[in-house]
Amino acid sequence: MSEALLKLENISYRYPDGTAALDNCTLSIRRGKRTVVLGANGAGKTTMFLHLNGILRPSAGQLYWEETPLDYSRRGMRDLRSRVGLVFQNPDSQLFSASVREDVSFGPMNLGLEERIVRDRVADALRAVKMTECADKPVHNLSYGQKKRVCIAGVLAMQPDLVVLDEPMAGLDAAMQKELAAVLDHLHTIGITVIIATHDLDFAYGWADEAIVLRNGRLLAHGNAAEVLLQPDVQTELGASPLVADIATSLTLTGMDVRVNGYLPRSKSELLKAISELHRQENNL
Amino acid sequence: MLTEQSAYTNNWRQVSPVAKGCFSLCGMVAAFAAGSPRTALAVAFILSAVTIFGAGVPAMRYLRVAAPPLLFLTASGLSLLISLDFGSSTHGISLHLAEAEFPRIAQVCCRSLASLAALLFLALTTPLSDIISLLRRCKVPDTLLDLMTLCYRTLFVLSEAVHDTITAQSARLGYTSLRLSLRSLGGVVANLTVQVWQRSQALHLAALARNNDGALRFLEPVYPDSPRTISIAATAGGLIIALSMVLP
Repeated sequence: MSEALLKLENISYRYPDGTAALDNCTLSIRRGKRTVVLGANGAGKTTMFLHLNGILRPSAGQLYWEETPLDYSRRGMRDLRSRVGLVFQNPDSQLFSASVREDVSFGPMNLGLEERIVRDRVADALRAVKMTECADKPVHNLSYGQKKRVCIAGVLAMQPDLVVLDEPMAGLDAAMQKELAAVLDHLHTIGITVIIATHDLDFAYGWADEAIVLRNGRLLAHGNAAEVLLQPDVQTELGASPLVADIATSLTLTGMDVRVNGYLPRSKSELLKAISELHRQENNL
Repeated sequence: MLTEQSAYTNNWRQVSPVAKGCFSLCGMVAAFAAGSPRTALAVAFILSAVTIFGAGVPAMRYLRVAAPPLLFLTASGLSLLISLDFGSSTHGISLHLAEAEFPRIAQVCCRSLASLAALLFLALTTPLSDIISLLRRCKVPDTLLDLMTLCYRTLFVLSEAVHDTITAQSARLGYTSLRLSLRSLGGVVANLTVQVWQRSQALHLAALARNNDGALRFLEPVYPDSPRTISIAATAGGLIIALSMVLP
């Protein structure tokens, strides 16, 4: 389940104006994992994402899809882009049609599928993001969070193996963030590999299996999210540390061992559960 | 945006756009077939009654949508009727009322009114995305339809951007005097120009990411029971044409 789906080898990218956006990055995205990409604004997250879908071509280095070097021909790109779905940050700059159903059909229609199949895929994708009821609404009457979900549906309808989302939580209120997190979990359970860029360290810590941290286009850290996010250099770079991890560590230091099977809790709910469990045990004793 | 509201909320939202397009086309043919201003007026009346009572578009909204084109029609009617005369008489400039032309002008105006009613019927009952898919079935060139699709979508995106910019400028006293207003307006135009460029770039990337290689293709909407509604619309349209030809 965890071989490399997509591998970046010594990838560098310079924008035409000479700015180095990525500098010698080597990493791999593992199949079936939830990966977060963290880094300050301008660290190269979006540039990296545009490489994953073949929109940008590295100035140096090589990308591999399941061990095969990426083929930048028309056919190769068609193949890659049907496997890698890219959801941009601003929904208004990626929705083409004013009708929800039409917009979701855009990708599968581009794949040249039969109309019957497209219709089924559109219905499935809208169901997956819980937007079936809005299928016939005009896009401009939807809320920001709903537009985001339409964007995700538009990518899901292409049935990709890998979904890449650029700051999906940005601009969403707490309730919408929760709904979106449920959608992301759903993608994971149906076997889609998910990568997201985020600034929300607490979410990253609770959700991700793997973390990639970029600094000025260079790879600062890459590995198990629970470990990477507790590295001091990562925390210095990001200017923050996961709150749940801080509390759990302090509690453990003060003698309350909140670890579950030897691991620190990673989300608020896990932490609260561990505390009440400890409390219950103490009272029983 | 009023047109937009009706298009999505009228009673006939779920009726096939082919049927509505067909009826609208028949209305236009009837407008041209009408032999007298009175008949053309009758056609206009029937078409607007169908829109208001059949499709359930509120009468007030109908009038508000119709007001700008009506104003335009009045202005052109008057300009046909009245002509300015320079220097042919001793008084210098004089106004002439083209009395002899009156029947023809009335005919043109009433026909325009009937055509307007036919177009309003389509615009107020059918969302633009449906009209575009209808035009696609009529084999209108893809490039034109892609432009329509993008214009329609970006209309809302950009109007929001304009609104946001103006709000931000007003919050910083950008419209307190005429001079400042002109300056701020210039700012809106400059800002929007850059935004249009950036957004077109972003849309291009988004299209590439979803495997696009040229024409924008979408799923055609399906409508229940279309053959029945199309034949009803065609019959009704045919009746209006017949009426306009029979009436003197």
